[in-house]
Amino acid sequence: MKRLQLQRWSNSVLSTRARTGSHLQHHLYNAVRRQSSTAAAVQPEFSTGEAEHETFEEIKLKTILRRTHSRPNQLKYPSPPTHAAHESAKLAALHARLYLPSRLPYETLARTLVDASADQDPNFNNESLSTLGHDLLTYYTSEHLICTYPRLPLSVIFASMYAYVGPKTLTAMTREWGVEHASSPGGEVDPGLLQFQRLAPGTELQEKEDGPRPYQSQPHWRKTVTSKIFYDNEFGDTAKTAAEGVSADQASATFVRAVMSAIYLHAGRPAAKRFFQQHFLSRHLNMAELFNFEQPTRDLTRLCARENFERPVAKVIAETGRKSRHPVFVVGIFSGQDKLGEGQGASLSEARERAAVAALKGWYLYSPLNVRLPSAMEEDEAAPWKPVHVDLGEVIV
Amino acid sequence: MAAIITGPKRPWLTLPFLLPSWTDSLVLGSRRHQSSYRRTKQRLRVKPDASFGSSAERQDHIIYNPPSSAPNVYHTPTKFLPPDDVRRAMRPEEPVKQDVESLPGVFKKVYEKKYHLNPSDIEEIRKLRLEDPMKWSRHKLAKRFDCSPMFVAMVCEASQQKKEIQKQVLEAVQSRWGAKRRMAREDRQLRREAWGRDM
Repeated sequence: MKRLQLQRWSNSVLSTRARTGSHLQHHLYNAVRRQSSTAAAVQPEFSTGEAEHETFEEIKLKTILRRTHSRPNQLKYPSPPTHAAHESAKLAALHARLYLPSRLPYETLARTLVDASADQDPNFNNESLSTLGHDLLTYYTSEHLICTYPRLPLSVIFASMYAYVGPKTLTAMTREWGVEHASSPGGEVDPGLLQFQRLAPGTELQEKEDGPRPYQSQPHWRKTVTSKIFYDNEFGDTAKTAAEGVSADQASATFVRAVMSAIYLHAGRPAAKRFFQQHFLSRHLNMAELFNFEQPTRDLTRLCARENFERPVAKVIAETGRKSRHPVFVVGIFSGQDKLGEGQGASLSEARERAAVAALKGWYLYSPLNVRLPSAMEEDEAAPWKPVHVDLGEVIV
Repeated sequence: MAAIITGPKRPWLTLPFLLPSWTDSLVLGSRRHQSSYRRTKQRLRVKPDASFGSSAERQDHIIYNPPSSAPNVYHTPTKFLPPDDVRRAMRPEEPVKQDVESLPGVFKKVYEKKYHLNPSDIEEIRKLRLEDPMKWSRHKLAKRFDCSPMFVAMVCEASQQKKEIQKQVLEAVQSRWGAKRRMAREDRQLRREAWGRDM
């Protein structure tokens, strides 16, 4: 749910419009200046009177002077200069479209759009910003997941982390925000475009040779889920890189992370949290679809033994057409007198397995009432902390 | 000639296209509006469903009549709630609709676990299986020791040689399969995997 703050909204609209009037002219003027062939076509507009004739002469002179001086200057830099941020209509539009806080300047927003592959200088690219943003995003997402669904298995946590803040999702968000890619980075490009050195077509991303994981050279070494916590990234994948350039997905992900940290740095923690709520947590993710059980009946038996419940028994609740071509069975799994799950299928074994899957999902998708996240304690005058539900962990067979 | 004498079998009036054009209004005018309206009305007068409450109930009430569907997985069963969860107290005791014992089971026979084998028996199972894997298969061992084949598999593993032979036998059988049977088997396997994903 997006919060509408009408007062501030109207303010920002008014102020940007007031500003963009001059910016737009600047931008048009600059655009005309860049294209030398069209410069002549615009000339008659200015030369109406004799008094303006001089100004036109001046403008022309200035144009020539600027072109000679500024263009090589701009070409000298690998990314657009800082003052160009105020002349970009794309950047102002992005700022307004995302409803970013007014305390976040255009210069920082322009910096979030420059990837490390475009500009090596850490003072002008978004690498440091994206490192902070990545930490914030993964922290907020993981605390939300672990506190809301305390019993989730680790592989499902990895999958849901990937769904919320994975590179694919961040790329989709960049597209939804209307950020376009510059075909090649440089000082002369519009600062409102995402600038990165593109990966050569057909290049394959490769894992690092000297990663932290021991016995990495063993091709058939089994990677356990537990070892993924320690050695791999927050999605349970090994980081892959190429020698030169980055993919569009990587660059987009870096940009979104940098925006998150820019809001955090300029507007503070509450604004960053609000941004996270509105853009990340508001995306719908059905947790029940992320599960994949290989032997659900065996897992359920182990679970019941661990929790000291009665041994689960499958019973046929309803059935139709047992001897026909399309029978339907409804099977429930009971522990004592309590029904744990119910499933239906075309055969008894299918219905039984589906019932076991439903029962296991019922266990794993438990969510406590009135969840409070640890980050809520960072706010002033927060109520005293009550410990959240901590589970024993997933069933290990 | 005979056809002309007997004449058409249908009366003229049922075939309006044979009549001259001025009779159209006559045919239209002879439709029975009144009686068919009453009949339709009578048929539409259906009693409301019993679940919508009796008409004697005058006070406002909520009609909750959900369609039959699978239970929601986000609704945690009461048994799975932690002991300190508030929902345990909030949920009313469900009236027992049907005794669970009276429901038919999925399997025809229910095997009770006996726990009757000693460590020496297990040693013997292992020895027999290693000695002559062709003679002492899992099922034969299970029959001899009165346990399940699953238990035999848990206790010991077939030798590498036996596994190789079994693999070759399977390949020989599968090589005789045609395209249809192979595809049907693969589809069955895929469907089976989809159960675990609940698809």
